[in-house]
Amino acid sequence: MDKNKLGGHYLEKYNEELETLRNRVLAMGGLVEAQVTDAVNALVSADVRLADQVIKNDARVNSLEVIIDEQCAEILARHQPAASDLRFIISIVKTITDLERIGDQAEKVARMAVHLAEKDRPKNQYADIQSLGERVARLVHEALDAFARMDVEVALSVAREDANVDREYESVMRQHITYMMEDPRTITRALDVIWALRALERIGDHARNMCEYVIYLVKGKDVRHVSLEEMERAARGETPGAE
Amino acid sequence: MTLKNWFKSGSPWVWLNAGAIAISMIMVVGLLALIMVRGFSHFWPSPILMTDLTTHDGREMRIVGELSRSQVLPAQVLRDAGVPIDDDIQLVTRHLIKQGNRDVWGRDFVWYPELGMTQWTYPRDAMRLERREWGDFYGFPVRILEQGRTVAEGDQLWPELQQRIRRANDIFDEIRRIERREIGNVNHRMERVRLSERRLDLQLREGRITVAERDQAMADLAAQRLVLDQEYAVLQARLDALYKDVRRDTLVAQVMDGREWEIPMAQIIRAIQPNDMNVLSKTGLYLKQFWEFMSGYPREANTEGGIFPAIFGTVTMVFIMSIIVTPFGVLAAIYLREYARQGPLLRVIRISVYNLAGVPSIVFGVFGLGFFVYFMGGAIDRNFYPEALPSPTFGTPGLMWASFTLALLTLPVVIVATEEGLSRIPSTIRHGSLALGATKAETLWKVVVPLATPAMMTGLILAIARAAGEVAPLMLVGVVKLAPTLPIDGNFPFIHLERKIMHLGFHIFDVGFQSPNVEAAQPLVYATALTLVVLIVVLNLTAISIRNHLREKYRGESD
Amino acid sequence: MDGMTTMTEQNTMTHGVTAGLFENTERKRLRLADETIALEVQDLNLYYGEAQALKRISMKVAAKRVTAFIGPSGCGKSTLLRCFNRMNDLVDACRIEGKILLEGEDIYDRKVDVAELRRRVGMVFQKPNPFPKSIYENVAYGLRLQGVRDRKVLDEVVERSLRGAALWDEVKDRLHQNAFGLSGGQQQRLVIARSIAIEPEVILLDEPASALDPISTAKIEELIYELKEDYTILIVTHNMQQAARVSDYTAYMYLGEMIEYGDTMTLFTNPRKKATEDYITGRYG
Repeated sequence: MDKNKLGGHYLEKYNEELETLRNRVLAMGGLVEAQVTDAVNALVSADVRLADQVIKNDARVNSLEVIIDEQCAEILARHQPAASDLRFIISIVKTITDLERIGDQAEKVARMAVHLAEKDRPKNQYADIQSLGERVARLVHEALDAFARMDVEVALSVAREDANVDREYESVMRQHITYMMEDPRTITRALDVIWALRALERIGDHARNMCEYVIYLVKGKDVRHVSLEEMERAARGETPGAE
Repeated sequence: MTLKNWFKSGSPWVWLNAGAIAISMIMVVGLLALIMVRGFSHFWPSPILMTDLTTHDGREMRIVGELSRSQVLPAQVLRDAGVPIDDDIQLVTRHLIKQGNRDVWGRDFVWYPELGMTQWTYPRDAMRLERREWGDFYGFPVRILEQGRTVAEGDQLWPELQQRIRRANDIFDEIRRIERREIGNVNHRMERVRLSERRLDLQLREGRITVAERDQAMADLAAQRLVLDQEYAVLQARLDALYKDVRRDTLVAQVMDGREWEIPMAQIIRAIQPNDMNVLSKTGLYLKQFWEFMSGYPREANTEGGIFPAIFGTVTMVFIMSIIVTPFGVLAAIYLREYARQGPLLRVIRISVYNLAGVPSIVFGVFGLGFFVYFMGGAIDRNFYPEALPSPTFGTPGLMWASFTLALLTLPVVIVATEEGLSRIPSTIRHGSLALGATKAETLWKVVVPLATPAMMTGLILAIARAAGEVAPLMLVGVVKLAPTLPIDGNFPFIHLERKIMHLGFHIFDVGFQSPNVEAAQPLVYATALTLVVLIVVLNLTAISIRNHLREKYRGESD
Repeated sequence: MDGMTTMTEQNTMTHGVTAGLFENTERKRLRLADETIALEVQDLNLYYGEAQALKRISMKVAAKRVTAFIGPSGCGKSTLLRCFNRMNDLVDACRIEGKILLEGEDIYDRKVDVAELRRRVGMVFQKPNPFPKSIYENVAYGLRLQGVRDRKVLDEVVERSLRGAALWDEVKDRLHQNAFGLSGGQQQRLVIARSIAIEPEVILLDEPASALDPISTAKIEELIYELKEDYTILIVTHNMQQAARVSDYTAYMYLGEMIEYGDTMTLFTNPRKKATEDYITGRYG
């Protein structure tokens, strides 16, 4: 299913509504992605102003979710979408939930950034957080890209990358636990850092969820709660409406 | 508004349509009004005038009678006819006076000029007698004679006269009853005996019975004939007595020139003094005369009396026509619409049927005479009534053939209307029936035909309207000027399809144009025409109400 | 102790209810292979004169299920429906090749009595078409055709059929009034009662609700749910939502061909063919 497939309805207004909906989701995605990047940057560079900005912006993310939800409900009521259109609406409803959660996690990271800015900086200058944050931000970006282009391959790569993110998260976690054991004075700071890391890990999971919806949207198959291999098999299988 | 805009607005068309409607309405209403005024006024008793006239040649005469109508002529016309009229008179008026007394004067309607007339008076004792013969009598009653002896004069005369007229009428009704019903019955039976005898002779000749058998049967018949002869003799004796009785009284009356005239009471139907009547009694008389017109038998070459046989004949004929044409037309239409293969042949048949409606009706008359009367009637006579030959039974114009001819004439109307009705039944209803496992015939008879009945009734209404007014073909196939008997009576087999009938349409033609006494007949023409119109309206209304009832019943899909 | 037991019981119960709620929603879709087959169409071609209206149709129709036919106007879905009770026989220039098996017997066999077939395969049309008779006589019509005269039997069947068509309560007091006095929706249910009075095996519904308002439509749809307990139902509809609502299987037809045929759930969320997808989402192909 390519991007153009949103159009082509006899009812031009329907086409326009679906296109607007898609653009709004992408706009929300763009905002959320920026929130993640900003939150990480604020934490790494101890930029309290930037962190405050992120916290404030979360309200915008939330209101976008409400707006898009409403529009989905309106399309369901007005046009009773079927088949791919129906899957499009369903996946959007779910995608924006995940986006909103990503926004929440970004806000959490920003709050940690505020806390940490008052404390001593570690030796590595939060390089681990910066690395994980960048990877996660890229995941969100790619998940949105997969949605925008309805690209199953990109979606699959995000799912794979999320596994790597999880692994990195675990190793960084272990590292921080070691720090805490070595020097109990750092415990308060480390706990905040762990909170932030935890939030970043969750963002990766949400990005993966978004990719699952992309696969459902394009292939009509539900790939939640299955292994990566099964997911790949399903995603590479026959495409509905292709014949 | 400019003229162009006015045309564009469409109002000229509205006006045009309204105008067309208005003209049609005026014509219809005018026609009905003329017929009604002329027809209804006939029965209103008009006053009897009396005047003295000095003619141009100096003769003096007294005139008694009813004013029929007046005319204004240029004086020159009369001068040319040799009547000297003063030069300063440009216009003269003349009056048509109904002076009656055809037996006295020879003519009952006479034109008199107004010039030389004295003032008209309306004497209270002026009298009009309605008589069985010679038309009306106008004059003044003088005395009543019983067996030549004076029994009433002066003041007692009028009540006595009314009483004796009633008596004479009662006796006359009895005579009429005996002649029509009882002697008619005896004659009918005698005719059957005669025909039986002839049939026996025929059967003997054909060898179907033996001489002995014939003689045996003949003896029976002879016995029957004897009984009938006796019955006849008894009736005849009673009749003789009644005739003698009815001739007992005589009215002596003075006609307008002063002569006295004797009128047998038996001849008088009714005596009235219209100048002495008030509105109430006039109304009563009006209704009585109107009823007699509707229910009575015609007299005096149809110029007097009633038109009952004509009404009866028309209605009977239309009924029989309806009974024939409905099943034929409906079956034909069902075949054409439902069963026949649609193709060029069917189209030709359909066009032929439709065009039958356009054939001049007299052609149907000729066809009816040739095919029904001579061919079919002749065949029926030869096969079923050989004993009556050479006098024809069905081989002569009669009710049945008239009905058949009219049925043929109206068949296309019924077929077209029924076909139209059938084609308007939505196919979904047929399919509904078929989908329940009904065959085509079951669907047709249980669902389609009941739904089409309003359309069939419409066809029948049109057929009746046309049939009741048709005259030309009927003159050839069964309608006569005067039929001695009604087509339905108490003698077996009660409905006599072979009899000739009277018909309102033909009655109008006959009275209006074939009558010896045009002036007397004219009001009757209007009255009869009115009756015909009313009859057709009644027949139509009946059919329409039946149709509306059916429509109501099958309302919904069908219309 | 008692309290504990009750708690446990409640827990079990709740669990049981929850289990019951989710049992049917397991990802188990209807499959024709699991069904009893009521009708089977084998390689059916139908021609109106020269024009071919149905092209190589083959399908199996599941017994006691609702099978819907959807497709644009003129796609042949109504024509196909009319093949099942041979209503197409009424069209002069109509010619049919192939077989339709009803319980294994070809209904186009020369030995088949069409009237008998139509008694087994009832039909309801787009526009309500009650007969110009009383409500009672409408329902009794089919039985009277079969020669049933017994008043008691007729009364019983009429009541049962009207109840079956969910119309009894609305008309029981005016059984002998003219059927045209009913509303459109009632008339359509009367027509359905009329068809089930003769106890057919299959009921064909040709756009049964297209002339009705939404409430009447809903009543008809509710009736279809109930009727499929006892009858095999085939329905043609222009209303895709209606097909989605009432049917178990759906066939999408286009230009006389059967493009896609399968369980309704799959067809409406995840059709295999692009043409189907375009049709049900309202796109031009």
